[in-house]
Formats: sequence, C-alpha cells, structure tokens
Amino acid sequence: MAAIKRPAVLLIFVLLLSLVVYGLMNGAIGTSLTSGEGEGTPLLEAPHPHIPPQKIGFPSGKGGESVTSADGFVITNTILSSWVVMIILIGLFYMGTRNMKIVPSGLQNFLEFILESLYNFVQGVAGEENSRKFFPIIATIFLFVMLNAWVGLLPIYPALGFIDHGHMKGHLLRPAGTDLNMPLALALISFVFVEFWGLKLLKLNYLTKFVRLDNLRKGNFAQVPIDLFVGVLELLSEFVRIVSFTFRLFGNMTAGEILLLVITYLVPFVLVLPFYGLELLVGLVQALIFAGLTLVFVVVAVTPHSEEEH
Amino acid sequence: MEDLGFHVPSLVVYLINFTILLSLLYVVGYKPILRMLDQRAESIKDSVEMVDRVREEAAAQQVEMQQQMEEGRQEGQAMLTQAREIAEKIRDEATSKAKQEADEIVAKARESVQKERDEAIDQVRQHFAEIAILAAERVIDRSLDGKTHKDIIEKVLGESADLNRS
Repeated sequence: MAAIKRPAVLLIFVLLLSLVVYGLMNGAIGTSLTSGEGEGTPLLEAPHPHIPPQKIGFPSGKGGESVTSADGFVITNTILSSWVVMIILIGLFYMGTRNMKIVPSGLQNFLEFILESLYNFVQGVAGEENSRKFFPIIATIFLFVMLNAWVGLLPIYPALGFIDHGHMKGHLLRPAGTDLNMPLALALISFVFVEFWGLKLLKLNYLTKFVRLDNLRKGNFAQVPIDLFVGVLELLSEFVRIVSFTFRLFGNMTAGEILLLVITYLVPFVLVLPFYGLELLVGLVQALIFAGLTLVFVVVAVTPHSEEEH
Repeated sequence: MEDLGFHVPSLVVYLINFTILLSLLYVVGYKPILRMLDQRAESIKDSVEMVDRVREEAAAQQVEMQQQMEEGRQEGQAMLTQAREIAEKIRDEATSKAKQEADEIVAKARESVQKERDEAIDQVRQHFAEIAILAAERVIDRSLDGKTHKDIIEKVLGESADLNRS
C-alpha cells in the first residue's frame, strides 16, 4: 500500500511544485523580474477593483457599469449574489427540514448542529429567557454574512463577467459584503433590533440611559451637566455603532476581495491557496463579530440600568 | 459616499432581502429545528426520568422482595419449629399410649395368668380333695360322712395352702 501511495504523493508534489514555479515565472512578479519593467506580459491582466457594485444590465443600464446615485432600482452583481446566497440558505434549510426525524442524519444533522451551536451561543450570552426572542435575527445575520463571504471564494465568481474590448469590465457576481449597502442594511437592522427590544422590555426605563434624571431628582445639581453629557454620548454611541458595523464588514470583505485579486495577479497558482484559507476564516470571524456584537448590544439594552450599575 | 457605492434603492433591496430571508428561514429552518431540539430534549429528559423512576422502583421492589423473603424465611422457620413441636408431641403421645397399652396388655395378661392359676389351683385342689378322699376311704376303708369329709378336706387344704405359702 505504501509502495502505491508514495509515487502518487510524489507526483502530486511535483505537479504542485511545477505550478508554483510556473505561477512565479508567469505571474506579475516573475515577468517583471525576468523581462524588465513593462516588457513582459503577465498571465493575468492587472486587476482594476471597483468599489461600487456593478449593474448586470437588468432591468436597465449597461452590464458592468458601476452603480451611481442617479440610478434608480437596478440589479447589481452584489444584489444578485445575495439572492444566490438566500436561495442556497433557504434551499438548504428546506431540504434539511422537509422530513425531520427524531434521530437526525445527513443534512438535518448538519443543520441542527449549526443551529444548536448558534443557539447555545445566544443562550450563553442572553440567558434562557431572552434567547428565543433574539435567536432568529442573530442566526440570520451570522449565516447571511458568512455565506456571502464564502460564496465569493468560488471560482465562478471572478470567472463570469462583462467583456468590453477584450477586458473584463465587471463581474456578474460579486460577494454582497463588498457592497457598502449590504453591511449598512444589516447595521440598520441591528440598530432597530437593539432599540426595539430595549424599548419593548424596559419600556420608558430604556430611555433613562440617554436622559439621566437620577442626580437631578436627588438634588446633585453639580452632576447634572455630566449626566447630560453622558446621555448625549450614549445616544451618539448608538448611532456610531451603525457606522462601525458597516465599515468593519465592508472594509474586511472588500479588502479580502482585493487581496485575492492582487495575489492571483502576482502569483496565479498554488500560493494563492493560503489566502483563500485566510478569507474563509475572515468570513467566519466577521460573521461572528457582527452577530456577536448585535447580541451583546441587545443584551446590554434589555438589562435594567440599576442592575447594570451593580 | 457615492464613490463607495452608497445607493439608496440597493439599500432598500438589502433591507427587504434580509427581511424575506429572516421570515423564510424562520419558517423552514429555525422553527422546525428548534421544535425538534425541544422535542428531543423533552424526550431525553423523559427517558432519564423514566430510567430513574424504574431504577427507584426496582430498588424498592428489591427491598420489598428481600423483606418478603426474610418474612417467608421466618415464617418457614416458625412452621418448622411448630412442626417439630407437633411431631415431638405426637411421638410423646404415641409413646405414652403405646406404653399405656403395653401396661394394659401386661396387666390383662397378669390378670389372666392369675385367673388361670387360681382356676388351676382350684382344679388341683378339687382333684386333690377327691383323690385324698378316695385315698382316705381306701386307707380307713370306711366312708366318711359328709361333714367329716369336708372337715378333713379343709384341713388338708389348709395345710397345703400353708405349704404353698411357705
């Protein structure tokens, strides 16, 4: 058995090494080293990353053009990608829960494992009482962000696009996380979610976080300006979260996308793989951060302030 | 912001997308899976409780069984003792009855022997008297009258009785 395995492993190793050498020689780095400045032609053309998403030409506009504020409703490559993710998620859950059994197997088992892990995470932070209320939003944020990041690693994403004069003008599909509007939409949902539960569970007491009247009532007038300032800071921090949520996710996803494009341009084969692995991890971590922070903020929001102080 | 791709209609699309995704995932994913997890947790809890209950019942039954076995053993022991006592009693009664019967048989035998002896003595006496009379008649060659006759016999018998006693 070892005798059969060894030549196969050796062959794979030689093949990979050849690809590394070929990639190094024919990538942007290799060609600039061997042919001098501006003389050689790298295997892939230099990437021209666009920050705004591109239109796909439906229902209006030209495919591959960046979206502008003048555009009305257009389907962009990031929106299309988010729909793909939605279809995958809904399809997976539909298939997995169609014929549920008390002793799970296959897809049902896999989905139950994911949801149970997420639920335990939510329960660990929010407690038994509130975990059921918060779980759907937190789980959806997690799954949506993670899968949106991961689908971008599929080879079909950079492969399909709009060709203009022999150049790739824009891709048909692009991870939705690289579109500012998607993280912004999630940040707004997270904001509304936190404020909604804060108000619902604490009623008007929730607002005492922003309008602190304790010292005014007790007659500690010297503390009142500080309270006022702290209240404004608290209110501001609620809105700052939207910005931080948005740009954290948008920045990470866009940077990851550009990093992969650039590394592939520099060294087309094999050496790109560690970066793909890194992006898998980044997708998971960003999803956890987005979902985890939303969970922490909502738990803080529904905790009575007197309890918080103790 | 436009350079970054901010686009209000796209933002609205994402908000709608997320809402649709959340609703559909809730219906086809979270709800059935959480229900199944609850059902399974409930079933496991029930099973564990049932196992505990069965174990407790088994332990209680074992104690009860041991108690019953102990009671049975004690009862058996008591019955055995009682049976032994009864057997002892029966044996004693049988022994005493047998002894009594034996005594009665011996007494009857003695009585019968005594009676037969007395009768034999009487018969012997009778014969002896007759022989004695006959002998006396022959010796004196005369017949004796009744009274004399009787006196002589009584005298002889008295002497023979004295002889017997001695």
